[in-house]
Amino acid sequence: MLWLQLTFTGLQVGALYALTAAGFSLIFGATRVFHFAHGAAFVLAAYVFYWAETTGLGMAAGIVLAALAAMAFGVAMDRLVYAPIQRHEGSFFTVFVASFGIGIAVQNVLGMVFGRSFVTISTGLSRSVKLMDGVYVSPLAWIAVACAGLFFVALLLFLNRTHVGMALRALADSPELIRAYGLDPRRLSSIAFALGSLLVVPGAVITALGSGLNPTLGNHVMLISLAATIVGGIGSIGGALVAGFILGLAENLALVVFESQWTEAVTFAILFLVILLRPAGLFGRHATR
Amino acid sequence: MNALASAAARPADAPEILLEIRNLEKHFGGVKAVSGVSMDLRAGIVTTLVGPNGAGKTTLFNLITGHLVRSGGSLRWLGRDIAGMKPYRIARLGIARTFQDLRLFNDMTVEENILTVMEPGALPFSFSGPSAAEKREKVAHVMERTGLIDKAHVRAVDLAYAERKFLSLARIMAADARLWLLDEPASGLDPNSYETFLRLLREEVAAGVTVCIIEHNLDIVVGISDRIAFLDRGRLLADGEPKSVLENPELTAIYFGDRA
Amino acid sequence: MQAYLLNLGVLISIYSILAITLNFIMGYAGIFSLAHAVFFGVGAYTGALVAMSLSASLFVTVPIAMVVAGVLSLALALPALRVRGEYFVAASLGLQVLAVTVFSEWKSVTGGIGGLIGIPPVDLAGYQIYRPAAFFPLALAVLVLVLVATRLLVHSSFGRSLTAIRDSESAAESFGKNVPLIKTISVVISAALAATAGVLYAHYLAFINVESFTLDTSVLVMAMVIIGGTGTAAGPVVGAALLLLLPGLLSYMSFLPQTQIGAIQQIIYGLGMAVLMIFRPGGLVGRSKAKARPRPQDPDTQAQAPASKPAEATR
Repeated sequence: MLWLQLTFTGLQVGALYALTAAGFSLIFGATRVFHFAHGAAFVLAAYVFYWAETTGLGMAAGIVLAALAAMAFGVAMDRLVYAPIQRHEGSFFTVFVASFGIGIAVQNVLGMVFGRSFVTISTGLSRSVKLMDGVYVSPLAWIAVACAGLFFVALLLFLNRTHVGMALRALADSPELIRAYGLDPRRLSSIAFALGSLLVVPGAVITALGSGLNPTLGNHVMLISLAATIVGGIGSIGGALVAGFILGLAENLALVVFESQWTEAVTFAILFLVILLRPAGLFGRHATR
Repeated sequence: MNALASAAARPADAPEILLEIRNLEKHFGGVKAVSGVSMDLRAGIVTTLVGPNGAGKTTLFNLITGHLVRSGGSLRWLGRDIAGMKPYRIARLGIARTFQDLRLFNDMTVEENILTVMEPGALPFSFSGPSAAEKREKVAHVMERTGLIDKAHVRAVDLAYAERKFLSLARIMAADARLWLLDEPASGLDPNSYETFLRLLREEVAAGVTVCIIEHNLDIVVGISDRIAFLDRGRLLADGEPKSVLENPELTAIYFGDRA
Repeated sequence: MQAYLLNLGVLISIYSILAITLNFIMGYAGIFSLAHAVFFGVGAYTGALVAMSLSASLFVTVPIAMVVAGVLSLALALPALRVRGEYFVAASLGLQVLAVTVFSEWKSVTGGIGGLIGIPPVDLAGYQIYRPAAFFPLALAVLVLVLVATRLLVHSSFGRSLTAIRDSESAAESFGKNVPLIKTISVVISAALAATAGVLYAHYLAFINVESFTLDTSVLVMAMVIIGGTGTAAGPVVGAALLLLLPGLLSYMSFLPQTQIGAIQQIIYGLGMAVLMIFRPGGLVGRSKAKARPRPQDPDTQAQAPASKPAEATR
């Protein structure tokens, strides 16, 4: 029953990957900013939640604070870092380097404040419950999958049914058109960052409650988000979501064969195969420029 | 139709067909940017593409140079199918182009901009082709003719607008191509530069270059074209003598109506 | 004090080689790699293994290390360079993460976490070089060789092709440049030259393990290039010297918590990278922003085109 157990764990992990990657993809799709600090938003939110829990503020307050921190971080990056760069040049790499630098700084500040070792919050939610012989699933896993479903439906409704959502999807292709419709591209860009960063919160909170945190987790989150964005197809939020699930499942099912330190290698192998065989991604349209 | 058949079929006095375009199609989503375009570019003939903005002129260039992949139809260079070939391979066949937005190598000097188009090979040190001295000489000659000789060591990004236009021209002059695709090469030039440009173009045509040019300025169009192709919304509406095309009231209505 | 300075000199030389070779692809080909420490590591492990089993002569270890690193870089470059720039960043990050796993898990070859110990000193025409006073000139000499080699390449037709591709890929293609091939060659050259730094490093410390070749190292080298000045000759060396002097400088500041020096250093260069990108993208040595005129006309450089004329689709 090992594989069934791993499938369940894979779905839980995949759900969180999916949301985080969808956030990165949403930001990249709408603003063309390669928001490498997305991983930093994730760890930041996770540590804020951890801090709120350990100081006794309670889980609900922790989630709210984590969400506020992630969104504030995203919007601040957009306003204070990316906007000034884009005013003078804004080449892909200038933006990427700045984002990368902030990511490093955040990781180390968190390391100084909270220490560099693993921390976790003990809660009954992460205790596994026997589902059947040899298959144990914690309540947290169900919450993760439910969260992913809920957020995804909300995101789809927002992107397809609301004015702002549709404008976001068109933003990257034609900022002129957006302006012509009387919408402010800068404001839309901030909305994209706020929303994209909000999507890391379920992953951050559930990781803090479950497998635990350390400051370098951001790198792993970034690798997953990047891989999912490319595997799913750049510019396709749905693609990133599906790819997140695939990567989470693959990582865990690989445990049947490999030891746990090779999980990232599995992600990398999938990423490479997709770049080799289907560079446009599973759901993407164009790969070259 | 293969190359032999078309060669046999051509009238004795018609120049050789360099590029044969047949039923070319390009769709972006539901939009037909180029639709059923057929035309021949013949050696030594100056063809001008005219038409309102969005007519598909630049798209046609991008299809020829391989920067865009066609949705349908065929492209033959001297009888050989070139559709689907990579841009660099098409370029090496002898098709060169300029860009509406120039796309100079901004951080390189004028001299390096021209030098690099003469060195398409990937190896750091080439053992065939022209020697370094021959290349320098040709670069100097091209800079002399385009009036850029005093700017040889200025970076492209630091040039004035007209100088940038001439550098774009200098690059294509150094590239040794048989067919030039020029995308609005004269737009925004002052009258003096414009005269120089026309003179250079005439000299090159006389020296055997075949030119296809996108141009809005009707003076240039009349001044230099042997033939005009009129595009609108991706379709080729007319293709013939400059006079007959320009005096067609329907076409002028489309052309000017769109830009009033 | 002299020992301290010599040690610093050797490390600056080695990291300068890494920064110069990374700058070769970043500054001239516009390729951003997060896997430079992988090639550093492959050079170090290969050099160490060859020195321990075959010969410690620099003329044996260096060529073998260069070939191994070069071949490995092909595995990264071939698929990743056919597609857009973002892919290379992602693929190189993936390779870096994978390489750390391999370095620490392939115990029979890399010695696992414990690493390789007892690497013999460099053998140069019969002389064994192990004293720092002798090693520093050697490291400096290799640095100069690498610097000269990359300068020659940058000013050759190959270097012009690279710069042309970086400035406008589509124009370079239109003039017959085989863009993926040229980029791939540049990555292989960069990786092979980075391997020489690895060989020196292995001999110098006589001990290597995975700690020296992690993502942190790749990031450190990238920061050296960016802070010094991408695409400049002196920038990478300046950046390497500056960032390696930083820990020493910080340890003089007694008010700082000494256990946090590493973190403070990373915060400084992380913020430094971001601030430079906002105010001076050319780096410390590079052209200041005021001199570099914006280039509104070329969409290739990804600046927004002016709205004067609806540009026809070039995509």
